[in-house]
Amino acid sequence: MAFLELHNLAKSYGRVQALRDVSLRLEPGAIGLVGNNGAGKSTLLKVLLGLLRPDAGDGSILDLSILHETARVRGLVGYMPEITATVPLLKGAEFVTLSGDLYGMPHREARRRAHEVLNYVGLGELRYRRLDEYSSGNLQRLKLAAALVHDPQLLLLDEPTNGLDPSGRTAMLRTVEDLIAETGKSVILCTHLLGDVERICEQIVVLREGTVILSGKMDNLKQATSRCYDLMWDGDGTEFVRALKRAGTEISTLSTRSNSPNSLHATQDPETDTKSENSSPSIQGSRNLRGRNANTIRVTVERDWATHSFFQMAKESGIILRRLKPVEENLHDLFLRVTAHDSLDQFRGLPSPALELGESNSHDSA
Amino acid sequence: MSLSPSEQSSGIDLARYHGWHGTLRNRWAGCLAMVRVSLLQVIRRKLYWLVLALGFSMFLIYWSLIYALAQLNLPEFSEQILSRFQFNVSPTPGVESGYVQFMNQQSVVVMLLLALSGSQLVGADFRLRSLTFYLSRRIDRGQYIVGKLLAVSTLISALTVLPALLLFFEYGAFTTGREYWLANWQVIPAVLGYGAVMCFTLSLMLTTISAYLQKMAPIAITWSCLFVLLKTIAVKMARETGNSHWLLLDLWSNILFTGRMFFGVFPERNDGLVVGMNHAIAACSVLVIVCTICTFLLVRRVRAVDVVE
Repeated sequence: MAFLELHNLAKSYGRVQALRDVSLRLEPGAIGLVGNNGAGKSTLLKVLLGLLRPDAGDGSILDLSILHETARVRGLVGYMPEITATVPLLKGAEFVTLSGDLYGMPHREARRRAHEVLNYVGLGELRYRRLDEYSSGNLQRLKLAAALVHDPQLLLLDEPTNGLDPSGRTAMLRTVEDLIAETGKSVILCTHLLGDVERICEQIVVLREGTVILSGKMDNLKQATSRCYDLMWDGDGTEFVRALKRAGTEISTLSTRSNSPNSLHATQDPETDTKSENSSPSIQGSRNLRGRNANTIRVTVERDWATHSFFQMAKESGIILRRLKPVEENLHDLFLRVTAHDSLDQFRGLPSPALELGESNSHDSA
Repeated sequence: MSLSPSEQSSGIDLARYHGWHGTLRNRWAGCLAMVRVSLLQVIRRKLYWLVLALGFSMFLIYWSLIYALAQLNLPEFSEQILSRFQFNVSPTPGVESGYVQFMNQQSVVVMLLLALSGSQLVGADFRLRSLTFYLSRRIDRGQYIVGKLLAVSTLISALTVLPALLLFFEYGAFTTGREYWLANWQVIPAVLGYGAVMCFTLSLMLTTISAYLQKMAPIAITWSCLFVLLKTIAVKMARETGNSHWLLLDLWSNILFTGRMFFGVFPERNDGLVVGMNHAIAACSVLVIVCTICTFLLVRRVRAVDVVE
């Protein structure tokens, strides 16, 4: 059963096209919505909340039209905003009660329910404190309680772990995980922290420039992209890289697993950049690890790829492989590979594909 | 040993999530919640206690006076004594109703309270981005605006309409027979009408100004300019040029004159400038124009706020 369906959704602000032909069909569960700044995440959230009418296309959420039943949609959706949008001078319980009132709950019910959800998110002891006395972590929990007060079927969480310390982040994620496991609620997690998405979500939607470039189940995604290798060699690898590309592999060198897995931005080694300027386009971005001739790349291959082919190619290219290490591509690597397609394509001369996991995989598109 | 079903149902488990299966009310009910919370916010700031105390002191004085006169049981003198305090409970032609006077006196305190509380009631929603919270719930922008107007109006009514009606009922309750009620029943719709003009115009103006300026100092300065500086300029210009149309710049008096129309009185200004029926209608027109501009600006300002950032 699809609980969220969008058909050819488009929205523009003047000349800026925020959403282009967005079509999605998502099943209930935890869904990660990711994309770079300006990718169209906020616009999509506004459309889902019924705050913005799309220029074209239509869709439904929980079997309600996002065009014609916006008020009812918001009655079934709990939204936790990214910013600290609280009402000054109120106490925790009053704030959550107000949230229930604004959702349309009878006041007495809202008040009772506020205490219940505050206990659930772990703020039972702090419910009579003024909001200006809450820490950032507690404010995030409070916002979650305010979104949960009317027992929505879907939670839209916008950067729920933003500004939290590691323990606060873990606690928040655990609460959301428990909520999904206990109640079966659907959650759309909109975040820049791919670690959070990887931990919680079963499905993912990646947006780039208003277009859905990747959507589907996380399991399919991992299955489809699990054959990756880190290769390191001594000598001039130009011919080797060319051979790899001719064999249909996908080369990605924008990040390593040692880089921060939660950052969307790859850390570039200045030395690498200098080197890449002087090298051929096919090995741009390769990382100098051990002296001038030691290079490393990450290669994504098809599932039936024979590992010894690497040695064969290396031998034919006149280099010695110093490392061949299978790695599991995580969401961070995949995100960078998918969203950085344009920049990589200029070196490869390949078209930028849209990936639909479950129907085709990244290798097919490459 | 296993628990019986009654023991199991009587237990509580706060650590687990419990669903809610009620029915949601109409979205307009959210406006009432906004009113309640806004009043709570005002009560929680000690600065406003002082102004509220000032506002209620006048009411308490009149209340006590009426009560004391009723206890002295001197019905033939009570009206005269009250009129000495500018409170004519049974106005005669040419003499303004005490309820009008009372509401005029109260409007000074209302102006002061609104100048100080605008930042709290409305400005904070924009400054601290609480508006995102409101608009991400079920209410829409129109309902938010109505909720805020109702909140400010409630505050104004609590200092003007409600005390005036209470004084009317108190005096009536202490008179013998039904004569007072029958002779003065028009006071009720007149007080309500005057209150409605005051509430609508002042709440709309305050909400608009606070939505744009947000902080207490700029709101208070602008408020003072609109109601005190413009009044001074209007009177000066009318005196210097001999053209009473300049008086239409005086927004505060425009509200008072429009409100007085409900009592059917068009008295002279205390600065000696002549005002008649035409001026009252012109004053009403000015208020309509001001309110239209405020509505346009307020809607524009609220629409500019992004719920998802």
